[in-house]
Amino acid sequence: MTAPVTMAGVRSARYRGMTWVWRAVAIAFGMVIVFPVYWMVQSSFEPNGDITSLKPNFFPVHFTLHDFVDAVNHTAGVGQAYFWDDARNSLVVVTIATLVTLLFGFLAAAAISRFRLMGTTAFLVLILVVQMVPGTALIIPVFLLLNNLHLTDNYLGLILAYSASTLPFTIWALKGFVGAVPYELEEAAMVDGASRFGAFRRILLPLLLPGIISAGIFAFITAWNDFLVADVVMQENYHQTLPVWLFSFTTNTGTDYGGLMAGCTIMSLPVVIFFLLIQRRIVSGLTAGAVKG
Amino acid sequence: MSVPTLSDLAPVRTERPSAPVPSHWRHAKGRSWRRVLRRQLLPVALVLPALGLLALMIFYPLGRLVATSFQNLGPFQLISHKVVWDGLANYRSLFTSSDLGTSVLQTFLFVLACVGLTMTIGTGVALLLGRIGKLLRTVVTICMLFVWAMPTSAASIVWTWLFQTEYGVVNYVLTSLGGNFANHNWFNSTLPAYSIIVANIVWGAIPFVALMMYSAFSLVPRELFEAAAVDGASPATTFLRVTLPMVRPIFVLLTVLSIIWDANVFNQVWYLTQGNAQLLNVIPLGVWQYIEAFSSNEYGLGAAVAVLMILLLVAVTGYYIRIMVRTGQLRTELRA
Repeated sequence: MTAPVTMAGVRSARYRGMTWVWRAVAIAFGMVIVFPVYWMVQSSFEPNGDITSLKPNFFPVHFTLHDFVDAVNHTAGVGQAYFWDDARNSLVVVTIATLVTLLFGFLAAAAISRFRLMGTTAFLVLILVVQMVPGTALIIPVFLLLNNLHLTDNYLGLILAYSASTLPFTIWALKGFVGAVPYELEEAAMVDGASRFGAFRRILLPLLLPGIISAGIFAFITAWNDFLVADVVMQENYHQTLPVWLFSFTTNTGTDYGGLMAGCTIMSLPVVIFFLLIQRRIVSGLTAGAVKG
Repeated sequence: MSVPTLSDLAPVRTERPSAPVPSHWRHAKGRSWRRVLRRQLLPVALVLPALGLLALMIFYPLGRLVATSFQNLGPFQLISHKVVWDGLANYRSLFTSSDLGTSVLQTFLFVLACVGLTMTIGTGVALLLGRIGKLLRTVVTICMLFVWAMPTSAASIVWTWLFQTEYGVVNYVLTSLGGNFANHNWFNSTLPAYSIIVANIVWGAIPFVALMMYSAFSLVPRELFEAAAVDGASPATTFLRVTLPMVRPIFVLLTVLSIIWDANVFNQVWYLTQGNAQLLNVIPLGVWQYIEAFSSNEYGLGAAVAVLMILLLVAVTGYYIRIMVRTGQLRTELRA
């Protein structure tokens, strides 16, 4: 935003004087909002003695990795550590669900924006309505359904639930991205002898990659977050996912907060870093300049 | 690091490209049905997987939810696969429950507090982002992205640690600021516990709203401000008469989305009360239906609570959704 006009209006002398106030407010806000994240990481590098002291350190004075070992070996009072099982479950289920939702979502979005399809509007309204239906409200019938299909305690049940719950948003987002890619590009490829599928694969797909990645991140984070479905559908400890594993920490009497924070860090940091890394690519605007005029 | 733009999340296109559909398709109408059918085969095949998945995991469960709310479904019926129709019994016990009125009211106040705070603070931060330099804006944005990407389960657990009775950093800070908060238990009475849950939800929701509103603010054409300046409008008038009307559609959309999300929070309530939501005295509907179904094994009653929740949500948001459709915000998307 360049002077003399800001997005809220004309930059007056009074506004210029306020700049330092705004800066101070922004710094304070940034510190407050990021503090819980910092505190999680900080606590997970502190020895237990420092964590349970009445005067907390604001920086890990006695840096240790012991909490991470504790978290991974934590037995949830059932005599066995399930971290690696549950981490693998989370990773496998969420990754497959994300891939499924991206594939189905891409096909549907391509069909909606590239063909004159009967009932498209009805389909889109339907998707919008689906987004209004709360996931928590559907947990009972989803459980009953998976129970009937003998898909409880089964990867497939969770994968179905996660890919379905992330699909509406994925279709909606991808439809926008597909619509932003000029059809002329595919037409040109088809004139040059590509099949319709070839045009999809060679032209549309690469151009859509940033959009697909961002939609995929969204689906991944949503599914990675879920506690409810996993808790209800997966009954065995070694079938659970990380959010449910985390929850097993807190039910113990005398919570090991160092281990718990290390567990939280293990669970969130990969997602956070992933998100930060990809965020840069999303906005790159790959299609800009692909077609002039 | 750039701020995500509007189009990352809710792609809004103002006008359709002129020829997304091959021109010969347009004439398909006059041709024979068989031809039309063959033309439709590929697109239908493309939509079918998505439609099938939604039908299996959302539309069918939705129907079944309504059906279940009219059944007596406990552990016995679940194992023996018996369907016992129970008429309005679930609804009768729901509406005669002394907790219903308070729970609905509490859910309403809870959502109102969450959405109100989220939208106010989020919009404020968005305005703030426009008044600071690029470097500081990037730093604040990264801070917010950390919060945004944090899984709600982990975040809620971190919040229990912040507010922990003996060793929580919040009690320490408040005590060193002169308060008497040593060994203060935040979770043994309803109002403080709810306040922390609300604070946790608002904290997690601010980044999304703030970044979306920031993009909305920066999309307002600059000529409008110049015109307002030429006409001698004060900054306050410019904001009220120019900026606000321009960002109204996205503001309404974010508010509706927030209402839906906040009415359905589960993780934050569940983790912060450590699975013992009864601590809250009266529990929000979204958690109540879970407890009826999976703690008391009263699936029918739980389903009735869920149906009531959906109906309330539709009643509250339906009006705004109609406005959005009418003002064309959704229509541009729907005009496929």
